[in-house]
Amino acid sequence: MAALLELKEVSKGFGGLQVIGHLDLTVDEGEIVSVIGPNGAGKTTLFNLVTGIYRPDDGDIVFGGQSIVGMEPHKIANLGIARTFQTLRLFLNMTVKENVMAATYGKTKARWWQSALRTPGSRREEKEVEKLAEERLAFFGKRLVGYRMEQPAYSLSYANRRRLEIARATGTGPRMLLLDEPAAGMNPVETHEITDLIARLRTEGGYTILVIEHDMHVVEGISDRVVALDHGVKIAEGSFEQVATDERVIEAYLGAKAVRDEAEEAGE
Amino acid sequence: MSRIGSDDWVEQQELRSEYYTGFTGPARKAFDRVGPGPRFFAFLAICAIFPFFPTVADSDFLIRVGVNVLLFALLALGLNIVVGWAGLLDLGYVAFYGFGAYMYAWLSSSQFDVHLPTELVIPIVITASAGLGLLLGLPSWRLVGDYLAITTLFFAQIFVELMLNLDRLTPPWRDEPLDVTGGPNGIPGIDDMRIFTIDFEQTRDYYFLLLAIFAVVVVGLYYINESRTGRGWRASREDPLAAELMTTPVNRLKLLAFAMGAAVAGLTGSVFAAVQTGVFPQNFEVALLIMIYAALILGGAGSISGAVLGAIIIAAVPEILRTPENARYLFYGVLIASLLIVVRPWKRVAGIVAAVIVFGFAAHEIVALIWPDVVVGVEDGGLGGLLDSWVLVVDDHETLVNFAFVFLVAAVLILTQLRGESRMLLLIPTIYLAAFVWENRLVAEPSVTRQLLFGAILVAMMTKRPQGLLGTPRVENPI
Amino acid sequence: MDVDFFVQQLVNGLTLGSVYALIALGYSMVYGILKLLNFAHGEVYMFGAFIGYFVLSALGGASSPSIPVAPLLVIMFLAAMLGAGLLGVVIERYAYRPLRNAPRIAPLISAIGVSFFLQASALLLFTAQFRTYDTPQLIPIDTTGRIDAGPLHISLTRILVIVSTIGLMIALTLLVSRTRLGKAMRAVSYDREAAAMMGIDPDKVIVATFFIGSALAGAAGVMFGLVFERVFHLMGFTAGLKGFTAAVIGGIGNIPGAMLGGLIIGLAESFSTGYISSTFQNLIVFGILIVILLVRPTGLLGSPVLKKV
Repeated sequence: MAALLELKEVSKGFGGLQVIGHLDLTVDEGEIVSVIGPNGAGKTTLFNLVTGIYRPDDGDIVFGGQSIVGMEPHKIANLGIARTFQTLRLFLNMTVKENVMAATYGKTKARWWQSALRTPGSRREEKEVEKLAEERLAFFGKRLVGYRMEQPAYSLSYANRRRLEIARATGTGPRMLLLDEPAAGMNPVETHEITDLIARLRTEGGYTILVIEHDMHVVEGISDRVVALDHGVKIAEGSFEQVATDERVIEAYLGAKAVRDEAEEAGE
Repeated sequence: MSRIGSDDWVEQQELRSEYYTGFTGPARKAFDRVGPGPRFFAFLAICAIFPFFPTVADSDFLIRVGVNVLLFALLALGLNIVVGWAGLLDLGYVAFYGFGAYMYAWLSSSQFDVHLPTELVIPIVITASAGLGLLLGLPSWRLVGDYLAITTLFFAQIFVELMLNLDRLTPPWRDEPLDVTGGPNGIPGIDDMRIFTIDFEQTRDYYFLLLAIFAVVVVGLYYINESRTGRGWRASREDPLAAELMTTPVNRLKLLAFAMGAAVAGLTGSVFAAVQTGVFPQNFEVALLIMIYAALILGGAGSISGAVLGAIIIAAVPEILRTPENARYLFYGVLIASLLIVVRPWKRVAGIVAAVIVFGFAAHEIVALIWPDVVVGVEDGGLGGLLDSWVLVVDDHETLVNFAFVFLVAAVLILTQLRGESRMLLLIPTIYLAAFVWENRLVAEPSVTRQLLFGAILVAMMTKRPQGLLGTPRVENPI
Repeated sequence: MDVDFFVQQLVNGLTLGSVYALIALGYSMVYGILKLLNFAHGEVYMFGAFIGYFVLSALGGASSPSIPVAPLLVIMFLAAMLGAGLLGVVIERYAYRPLRNAPRIAPLISAIGVSFFLQASALLLFTAQFRTYDTPQLIPIDTTGRIDAGPLHISLTRILVIVSTIGLMIALTLLVSRTRLGKAMRAVSYDREAAAMMGIDPDKVIVATFFIGSALAGAAGVMFGLVFERVFHLMGFTAGLKGFTAAVIGGIGNIPGAMLGGLIIGLAESFSTGYISSTFQNLIVFGILIVILLVRPTGLLGSPVLKKV
């Protein structure tokens, strides 16, 4: 399989603190890769680097065969990388449908003067965009359709806001989705749903997915491959079982002493 | 603040129902329920009155008021693009208006002896204003909020200063000073507009010209707001970073907003220059900026109909204030209207009004008894005659009136904090005090009254109804 | 080069810079704690200048003061600082506090409204005419009222202004770094909610900040009146703008930065007036602001801010 996203020796520091160090990471077309690691491991920074919010100090990021380092974020997004946020960042005062429609900006062409004149092209495009938004929202069953589409996003429940963020990300017409803790703050039932949803995003939507997640049930349920980060360095990579049993991963999560204690206990 | 697991809509239910209490509650509720679409069409229906205005309004003065209203409406619409839609606080806006006016003056007056045809001047003015807008928009790439506000405000200041001083500088290629702007005396004797075969000479002609521009701008802006461009602006106002990551070129849209707002302002400025047949630096000072902001905020930033309604109020009210008799009707009318809105069971309004009347007569009698030489009558006739023995009018006691004004401000501020009985009790003397200050000072000084009013409108709207009269309430991003 | 002229400009710049620095401090403190640009600050300064004037008139005026000059000056300063401080507190209470959690544009517009309202009030109360402090009557500029150093003459008034500014700044620095209130201010400016959970009442701290900042502006108003003599209802606007510029240049929210910024603006203005032309001094100040904002958006002494996602 061809690599869709490739990070080569990427480093990023803030004022002397190395947040990402010489990171190599590849995500193949159609793959679901999970990134795990304790808080402060540099997971969200990784997303910010890929989406162009930060510029790497060193190294190269290649998406679909093209280097995206130094590109403006909206151009990167337009190439096909869409993301969600750990702390939700919806357009709260816009309607649910508008939230998704706003994400189609890069894929639409009507100039402002064409819109002002209501040219046939701009009207057609507007209709297409509206239909697309409705389709994307319908992906989540009944939760975001019907009367809800016309309500402001702030009227949604927390779980529905998370769903809307994913819907909005798919509105950009991406090849790849970056999901930042999609199950955070969800109850067990909703978490289970998210697991199914991510799987469906691949099978039905055809997206390649890179996901940051803390909930190990979700990670186990969805991942083709798991990458563990600690202090910005990749400490393990492989199947969920391999990574979950990796000594360095356990050490990173539980601390070196705990691991040693456990080993000693087992030894006795 | 993000409250995980809580639902804002449900949480705010109580707040919302409380919002619609009082006498006017049901009316306000019904009004807020009407969607933005129907509201806009209702607005268009109201705007349909505009073309018939000159046939009704026979005096030149009224036509002038109409022209003023349209100028303001256009300015507020332009400002709405930048402030209401793109969410950028542009305090340099008034400079574009001035720039458009001066551009028109340079190209159609004897200042440089250039008299280009109007149909050529207007595109030049629009393009140049938009260009200047782009230039001033550039800082918005790096500066947000207050920093952008202060930078643009400086720009407005500099503009006025340049216009004041660019009349006596000697450029390096000349021996004598070059008079570009006419300095404080401005540029008088500007040509009237002549578009193809139509001559614009009277104020009435300009009224229809402005009306045509207004119609084009309103319809154009309405469709732009409904398009991807409008969504892009709204998205970048809500959350610029998220918008950028959802393929919206935020920086480009910011520039577009600045340029478009500047173009509208510049175009309006050129018509203003032609109507006034002259441009002067003091036409474009910060006071005007505050008025435009007051119009937009009062009507509701982000809403086209709001901007227009606000402009009508802000431009028409000062004209009413001009004659004391009209001003009086307006003042007491607004007083009673606001009582109806603020006081809960409306039966109380009658009680309060009665109490205020009694209070006034009593106060008047007592002061007339113990201090007869200060009491003078309100001028005869109309409402003034009715008020003669009710409100105290004193002569040559400026300090007393000054203190009364300070007390009035203090009383109003305290009133906003009180609830229940004590509020009603304080309300009675406060209203009387307001009438006192009004009759003794404000009625005779319309320009100060206007300033006080606009300042108070901005504060009151922001604290009580930030969405304005016609805007939709907003919640804030939990960042 | 004429040394006397140069020193004169330097002293002018330092005096003007002192006034701007004091105004800038108020902006900076309020901004540091509320992230709010208090647009009405310039008007508070204007009111301070008027209070000073009215106290002076009430005590007999500059030509025939009813009490000795030194206590008269002290009373003028104290009254102006108290009055301006209270005005600041009232503004905070009624125009800003209701908007604590509103979008950032809301308090800014409210502040513009307050500024406009205060300006109009001043016009109503004090009329549009200039009032003059008539300082030379109070502190004569003949040999008793100035310091002579060779060919240089520096008026006592200016020295008074510069020295008292330094005094106020030292007092403020000590207040912020040494006292409980100062500690509370710093805590609230870092994180209001966390500070509240630690038992600090943010409202009280904010009120204190407004009081102190506005009192400094009031003192600046009196100083301006003493040095430049003329006070009028529009004096707050440009001074406020320049004070804010000074705060931005130094790094907003940063106290030494505000002092530095004030001095830079004051010196730039006085030297450009002295050596170039008085017409475009605002243009020069504006140029400095733009350059600083573009090159170092957080100001000369401010620390860079991380973009958080």
